[in-house]
Amino acid sequence: MSFEPRIVGFMCNWCAYAAADLAGTARKKYPPNVRIVRVMCSGRVEPALILKAFELGADGVLVCG
Amino acid sequence: MASAGSHKNIELLTYSEVMEVSGYVGNFKVKIKKKPRYVDESKCTGCGTCQEKCPIKVDNEFDLGLGKRKAIYTPFPQAVPNVPVIDRDHCTYFLRGKCRACERFCETKAIDFEQKEQTLEVEVGCIILTTGFDSFDPTPMTQFGYGRYDNVITSLQFERMTNASGPTGGKIVLKDGTEPRSIAILHCIGSRDVNYHEYCSRVCCMHSLKFAHIIREKIPDAVIYDLYIDLRCFGKGYEEFYNRLQEEGVNFIRGRAGEVTDVAETPEERGKLIVVCEDTLISRQRRLPVDMVILSVALEPRADVAETAKLFSISRSRDGFFLEKHPKLDPVATTTEGVLIAGCCQGPKDIPDTVAQASAAAARAMAIITKGSVEIEPTTAFIDEKLCSGCRTCISLCPYNAISFNEDKKVSVINEAMCKGCGTCAAACPSGAITARHFTTEQIMSELEGVLI
Ligand SMILES: Cc1cc2nc3c(=O)[nH]c(=O)nc-3n(C[C@H](O)[C@H](O)[C@H](O)COP(=O)(O)OP(=O)(O)OC[C@H]3O[C@@H](n4cnc5c(N)ncnc54)[C@H](O)[C@@H]3O)c2cc1C
Repeated sequence: MSFEPRIVGFMCNWCAYAAADLAGTARKKYPPNVRIVRVMCSGRVEPALILKAFELGADGVLVCG
Repeated sequence: MASAGSHKNIELLTYSEVMEVSGYVGNFKVKIKKKPRYVDESKCTGCGTCQEKCPIKVDNEFDLGLGKRKAIYTPFPQAVPNVPVIDRDHCTYFLRGKCRACERFCETKAIDFEQKEQTLEVEVGCIILTTGFDSFDPTPMTQFGYGRYDNVITSLQFERMTNASGPTGGKIVLKDGTEPRSIAILHCIGSRDVNYHEYCSRVCCMHSLKFAHIIREKIPDAVIYDLYIDLRCFGKGYEEFYNRLQEEGVNFIRGRAGEVTDVAETPEERGKLIVVCEDTLISRQRRLPVDMVILSVALEPRADVAETAKLFSISRSRDGFFLEKHPKLDPVATTTEGVLIAGCCQGPKDIPDTVAQASAAAARAMAIITKGSVEIEPTTAFIDEKLCSGCRTCISLCPYNAISFNEDKKVSVINEAMCKGCGTCAAACPSGAITARHFTTEQIMSELEGVLI
C-alpha cells in the first residue's frame, strides 16, 4: 500500500474554511488526506496545537488564513 | 432623494464626508467633514439667479464633457438639496479677489464667502453604505477609439444625452450637432473580459436594450445594431422587452466587436465609423458603417473603495466590491456588526435590485436599533482576571481594538461587543489567561484527537 499522508488543516472561518465550504457546494473534489479543523482566525493557532497534531500522528500541518 | 431630504427623521448631509469611525454596533461615533459650499442653506431659495449671473463657464463633470456649468452651480437640475455650491478652483473671487456677482444679485443674501469647513460628530447605532460604483474608463481599450473619435461615447454619456434636462435637452446628437442615422451599441466593454473585469456587469444588457428603444423612439428610421456576447435579460419582464425590440427592428449581432475604425474600404464607409466584428451566428466577418458608437462600459468598484472599506472595517470580494456576510443568507450585512451594505457598492445591479437591498438594509438597521440592546455572537474571548499578568500583549495584537487596559486592576479587559472571537489573544497570552469561547484549547485538542485517531 502506498503512503497516504494525514494532514491537519487549521482553517480560518472567514477565508480558508469558507473556501473549503464553497468547494463543497461547488462539488469540487479534494483529497481526503486533509482533516479540517475550523478556527475563527489563523491567529488562534498556537504552537501547542501544532505540536499536539504531530504528537497524535499527523504527517503535516497546514495553517490557512 | 427629495422625499428623504424632507423627511423629519432623516438628516441629509450632502457635500460631506465621513472621516473617522469608531465604536461598535449600537454605539458608533462618526466624524464627518462638512465642506463649505459658500451658500447659506437656510437662506437660499434655489431661485438660480446666481447661476445665471456668474460669468465663469466650465465643463460640468456630471455631464461627462457634454455640457457646461457655472462656477456657482448645482450638478444637475434635480439635485437635492436645491442649493448651489461655489467651486473655489474656478470662482474669480477666490482666484483673484474680485467679482462677487452672485452675492450682488442674491436677493436673500445667502452667499457667504467666509464659510469654513466644519467637523461634526454624530452617534449612530447602525451604518448603511450605499456608495455605488464607478464607470469603467474605456480609454485603455484603444481598439474602440474612445477619446480618439468624437462620436464614440460611453453608455453614461449617452444616458446624459437622452435626459430631458441634460446637456442636449434630450436630443441624440453627434459632436457636430447633427442627428445620427445609424448607431452601434457595443455590449460588455470592460466586463466579461479577463483583461479588465472577469465578472458580468449585469445591467448593461438591459440598459443597452433601453438605449435601442429610446433611439427607435427619437429617431424612428435609424439603423441600430446591438453587438452582444450573450443577452442576459434576467429580470421580470426583461425577456419580453428583448422580444419587443426585435419586433422594433433592432439588429442584434452575436459577436464582440474587434475594432472601431474610420479607415473606409468602400464608398459607403467614407466619413463613417466602421465597427469590425465577427457575426458568430452566420460565421462571417462584418463591417458595419455607423455614425455613432456607444460603448456599454462595465460597472466597477469606486476608485476609493479600498479606503472606504478600511474606514468602516469591512472586507471586499475578489472583484473589488464590498463583501457581504453571506451571499445567500445574509446579503446586506457585513462581517462588521452594524455596518450594512446595499446597491452597487456590493456588486453591479440594477435599480430594482438596489431598491430591494436598500429596503432590506433599512429594515435590518431598524430591527437592530429599535430593540435597544444588541445580540452578540457567542464566540467571544474572555480574560480570567486572576491569571492576567497585565503584560498587554493581547492589546497590541487584537485586530478589532476590542481590548483595553484597566489601570485600577492592572489587567486587560475585552469588550464583548467588539470582539469577533478570532482567538488571536488566546493563542498569544503567555499566562493562558484568555479563553476563546467555543474554540478553547481543550476543545481544539479533542477535535485533533477526533480527526487523527
Ligand atoms: C449607463 C447606465 C445606465 C443604467 N440604466 C439603468 C436602467 O435603465 N434601469 C436600472 O434599473 N438600472 C440602470 N442602471 C443601473 C443603476 O445605475 C444602478 O442600479 C444604481 O445607480 C445603483 O444605485 P446605488 O445607489 O447603489 O449607486 P450610485 O447610483 O452609484 O450612487 C452612489 C452614490 O454615493 C455617493 N458616494 C460614493 N462614495 C461616497 C462617500 N464616501 N461619501 C458620500 N457619498 C458617496 C456617490 O456620489 C453617488 O451619488 C444603469 C447604469 C448605467 C451605468
